[in-house]
Amino acid sequence: MIYFYDGTKEAFFTAFLLAFRDKDALLTSGQKQLLLGQECYFVNTDRERAEKAERRFAALDKGCLHDLNLMLRSGDHGRDMTAFRYFKLIAEQKRPVRDMFSEPAVIAAEECIRRVLHETEHFRGFLRFLECESGALYAAFSPDNDICDMLVPHFKARLGKLPFLIHDVSRKKAAVYDGEHMFLAPLERAEIAVSSNETEWQKLWKRYYESVNIPSRERLKQMRGYMPVRYWKFMPEFMRSSPQASLEALSDEPSRPR
Amino acid sequence: MIAEEKLKILTDGAKYDVSCSSSGSRRKNANGMGSGYAPGCCHSFTPDGRCVSLLKILLSNDCLYSCRYCVNRKEADVPRATATPDEICALTLDFYKRNYIEGLFLSSAVHVSPNHTMEQLYLTVKKLRTEYGFHGYVHVKGIPRADEELVRMTAQYADRMSYNIELPTEKSLKLLAPQKSKESLLLPMQKLSRETALFKAEKRKGYFLPAGQTTQLIVGASPEPDGQILRLTQSLYRATGLKRVYYSAYVPVVHDPLLPETAGGELREHRLYQADWLLRFYGFDAEEIAPEGENLSLEFDPKCAWALRNPQLFPIEINRAPLEALLRVPGIGARSAYKIMQARRYAKLDFDHLAKMRVVLKRARHFITCGGKYFGARPAAVRALLAGGEANKNAEQLSLFGSDALSALTGEL
Repeated sequence: MIYFYDGTKEAFFTAFLLAFRDKDALLTSGQKQLLLGQECYFVNTDRERAEKAERRFAALDKGCLHDLNLMLRSGDHGRDMTAFRYFKLIAEQKRPVRDMFSEPAVIAAEECIRRVLHETEHFRGFLRFLECESGALYAAFSPDNDICDMLVPHFKARLGKLPFLIHDVSRKKAAVYDGEHMFLAPLERAEIAVSSNETEWQKLWKRYYESVNIPSRERLKQMRGYMPVRYWKFMPEFMRSSPQASLEALSDEPSRPR
Repeated sequence: MIAEEKLKILTDGAKYDVSCSSSGSRRKNANGMGSGYAPGCCHSFTPDGRCVSLLKILLSNDCLYSCRYCVNRKEADVPRATATPDEICALTLDFYKRNYIEGLFLSSAVHVSPNHTMEQLYLTVKKLRTEYGFHGYVHVKGIPRADEELVRMTAQYADRMSYNIELPTEKSLKLLAPQKSKESLLLPMQKLSRETALFKAEKRKGYFLPAGQTTQLIVGASPEPDGQILRLTQSLYRATGLKRVYYSAYVPVVHDPLLPETAGGELREHRLYQADWLLRFYGFDAEEIAPEGENLSLEFDPKCAWALRNPQLFPIEINRAPLEALLRVPGIGARSAYKIMQARRYAKLDFDHLAKMRVVLKRARHFITCGGKYFGARPAAVRALLAGGEANKNAEQLSLFGSDALSALTGEL
């Protein structure tokens, strides 16, 4: 049986309870090609049962809800089954399983979580803001995992009262910080009026980036290893056009199924 | 706004300093811009594979000294420029705001006099912290022979300071950097580390070099062997309490009869970094890694070379060995060792488990047993199997249709 659910925590626990005893259970929150004769079930979130399950799991392992939050953000196709198998193991063992590194379910969960955290860490560095006319900052990016709100505390701590917006252009959503509060909002396309000297600063940055390189020690493979090429299109040091033009090109990013 | 050309000149002069990290400081944002991020953060990577973390810039490249290896030395025919503190501060803030950089790495050529230069550096960081309200990471270079009090005052505003030793012995310094001496570099370092200790002991408010001190050594410009370099490194870590020692394979940017004409010490630099990690995180001593007068092997990484020299200690049993022993197995790093320690509390580990846990077994399998079973090669063959680098360059995949292979198949000679 295939269980379709909407990718939220509550729906996951509802689906988990339904699928727990099903040997051929397949959980998914994405799209799936059905095989001939395969049965499927669309999970309706049962809040009460989900909350009960959540409390039970929290009693068995305090950190597992945090793990689930991270796993459900993953862009991997297998994330739902990874989470399902991990929680099934917790239910069977009745204790935290995080450190059982020889269990396949734990290895998969740990990998999945690590990838999400790793990408968040990457974007603490690779995210690029541009200054709007109002003084607020705008950053566009297209991460593999759904992490735009996870970056907010980091930038909030350093930018002080400055409002900023982090736009996930492929998931068409944005994390907004208005100087006091953070909130998530759907955002298809951002209309930005770039501040007057933004072009100058970007030019200076490009100049700096070119000068700090030592051409006689070229190691492109290493460079690409540390900084995946798919991130480059959002970084001014690799952009050819003006900030405004490249901004418009980036908003046309193909959307990613969630 | 600083002129593009000036930025280029001042960056060109600073880029050969390899120190890049922005880790170790937890400085908080106090109603301004910026905060420290203790793990450190890389913001970009240049085509030479190095990270861009800090805005690496000189206050001036107009130098009094004539260190022979340096692009900015007095006699060099390069364009000269000097930036004002305000230009540097504005540049730092606007780059930082856009998340281009993690902070400032401010260095300078010795301009006018050591004291004048140090004073300018001090004024710049002070201005950056107080007037511009910047609380991000700041790394300042110490100027040898500058006044102690100036250095101490600068340290109050910086996250990290560093004096570059550059050459590992007094003799090489005399030859290649005649205006510097061992004392002019080591004494201020020791002074600063005493000040830091005092600051911590008295639990004073504020910050005093929260990210400590570092230094840099040029490798390959002078004849010192790795064994000697590593002993120096070890004493710097243990006696002076340095956070990092950086190594920079010599890049010939100037022609001088006293200097080698070719670069190419990159593998050596890599091996030194590997050895450095063994000193800091794996509980090794310099004496174990390299004998005094010798270089590190280019063929094997330093841990592997050590294990091959000490076959009597291996193989070790993965299910029982203590953490210190696991960390000494070639190919097993801190993360794998931690995973093994945790996993074996729940199950007896076999070879398949290790492979699934992504423990790298290419080297490790020759040095471990799993449940008493050994999966490595015969001890006599291990050395040849593990030899990398130079030795494997001639190895080649045989083609089924190549001339040699064909004659082997048909039996024709």
